[in-house]
Amino acid sequence: MNGFVTALQAEFYVSLRSFSGKLIVLAPSVLVLIQYLITKLSEAGQQARDNLLGSSSFADINGNAYGYYVDGLSTGITTLGLLLVGYAAFSISSDRDTGVIRHLLIRRISRSALLLAKLAHIHLMAIASFLLLLGFTYFGSGLLWEYGAIVEDGFELISVEEISTEISLGIKLALIPLPAAIAFGLLVSVCTQSTTQAVTSALGITILLDVFKAMLGDYAYYLYATFQPSLLDQSYLQDVSRIVRGFSDVLIDDRVQQLNLWVPVPEMLAFVLAGLYIIQRRKL
Amino acid sequence: MSNTSRAISLSVSKLTKSYGDFEVIKDLDLEIRQGTIHGLVGLNGSGKTTTLECILGLQLYNSGNISVLDKHPTHLYEAAGKIVGIFDTPSLHPNLTVRQCLEHARLLCPEAARTPEKVEHLLGIEKFQNFKIKHLSLGNKRRASIAQGLLGQPELVLLDEPFNGLDAEGVDDVLNLIKTLNQREGTTFLLSSHQLPYLEQICSHIAILHQGRIAVSDEIDTLFSHDRIHVRLRCNNEGDVRELIAGVQAIEIEANDDESYLHLALENMGSADLNRMLVEAGIAVTELVIKRDSLGSLFREITSGQQS
Repeated sequence: MNGFVTALQAEFYVSLRSFSGKLIVLAPSVLVLIQYLITKLSEAGQQARDNLLGSSSFADINGNAYGYYVDGLSTGITTLGLLLVGYAAFSISSDRDTGVIRHLLIRRISRSALLLAKLAHIHLMAIASFLLLLGFTYFGSGLLWEYGAIVEDGFELISVEEISTEISLGIKLALIPLPAAIAFGLLVSVCTQSTTQAVTSALGITILLDVFKAMLGDYAYYLYATFQPSLLDQSYLQDVSRIVRGFSDVLIDDRVQQLNLWVPVPEMLAFVLAGLYIIQRRKL
Repeated sequence: MSNTSRAISLSVSKLTKSYGDFEVIKDLDLEIRQGTIHGLVGLNGSGKTTTLECILGLQLYNSGNISVLDKHPTHLYEAAGKIVGIFDTPSLHPNLTVRQCLEHARLLCPEAARTPEKVEHLLGIEKFQNFKIKHLSLGNKRRASIAQGLLGQPELVLLDEPFNGLDAEGVDDVLNLIKTLNQREGTTFLLSSHQLPYLEQICSHIAILHQGRIAVSDEIDTLFSHDRIHVRLRCNNEGDVRELIAGVQAIEIEANDDESYLHLALENMGSADLNRMLVEAGIAVTELVIKRDSLGSLFREITSGQQS
């Protein structure tokens, strides 16, 4: 499609050799590593203090690796979401600022193919980053803590199968808004006048949505950002973290789950269509 | 091959482009035939870069028609690398090395006739191949940018201010490269520049853009081969000269300057004829210099004349 494959190859050529490409893939896992190390150190300190004082804490429940696994995923996906918005906002605006986009357009690639190739490229980067994060958090938390069912006073409150099911659902619901976030970043990138403006606008608006979503009441469920793990997290993954620790048994409301499943996709399509419309008309 | 029998590489007709209420280009017409080297000159803000950007489909225009190798500007990608634009700012990834930029550009060239090594050598940047673009001087960035444009087998190359930031050696390299590609491969060039002497040296055609329109567009030989020549004269007695030539229709006094030179225009008359006439009248000629027409003088004539 008018140079789509060439554009994708060109995108990968650059991202494999650039710092930002490596940052997207590695940063979520590195942050989780730091989080795990700090948590482990803090727990070791707590345990030493308890031993000295002869008291006990909730280590038995807290020590389940599933809780840390979900926390790690939550941190990683939050980071990934922000990085993806910033990277998407950077992508077209940076090519425009450096003038690289001109070579691409004149030589081989149509404007729409370029936008769609960037969209596909960032998604593939996101997949690579997420798979690394998934593997890293699973094995990392298994190495530092122990996986098991939630047991209290000898009774199994939540089985491993139930935990796995809820974690899978939490991950699925947390990932669904990411394509919309990427498309939003690209739309901002297409609309703005410079790279700085694009990145600050995209991240600024994302953080503003995060802050204001709590004030929107029920309307917030019609916003993709509500379902995205974030700094002020309202995603289901946050609830899953409590469930797998045995602190909560409230599962996701069916209506909210349906909205989580279906709201981000049309919003993503709307962002892509708006981006395609604008990129055809603006000076590059 | 005569000029008119060549195929048209680029055709612009009635092009109009405005920024808000300000009309930068008004009904601009331009035709470039295959295998020619066209120079596009104009004052700052005359619309040269805007014209190039419209031709290359980088910005939309209000009205008019543009055809670049029979493609609409927004569909240049269909020409599969036969059209190349090289801009006044180096359009390169700052964090890639020179070689990586060239390899990246090569992905866009289906028929990469020249390898990155070859274009590095042509532009004299082989020793910088592992330098990141952001660490290069402006001149070497410019060379790398041109090298990137010359990968593949371009048929039409548009260059915006190609000599900016280049040292004398760099200018010579670029001029030689343009000449070689034009003569050996028949590559058509459109160069927009303020460096009139360089354009005069290399271009087969010149178009002067003034007040949004092409004021003059022709072969460079035609522009400067007319029957009127200009001379600068110094004699022992200026008064006698003025008296003598007052009755000669073929001579016109254009000006005299502070250093007592007379600037004359001769119509259908050679400088030798003038010299003979003066000597026969007993006027001693101290100095008689033919002033060659230059692109600079033509440019100044057009831009100052139409402005006033």
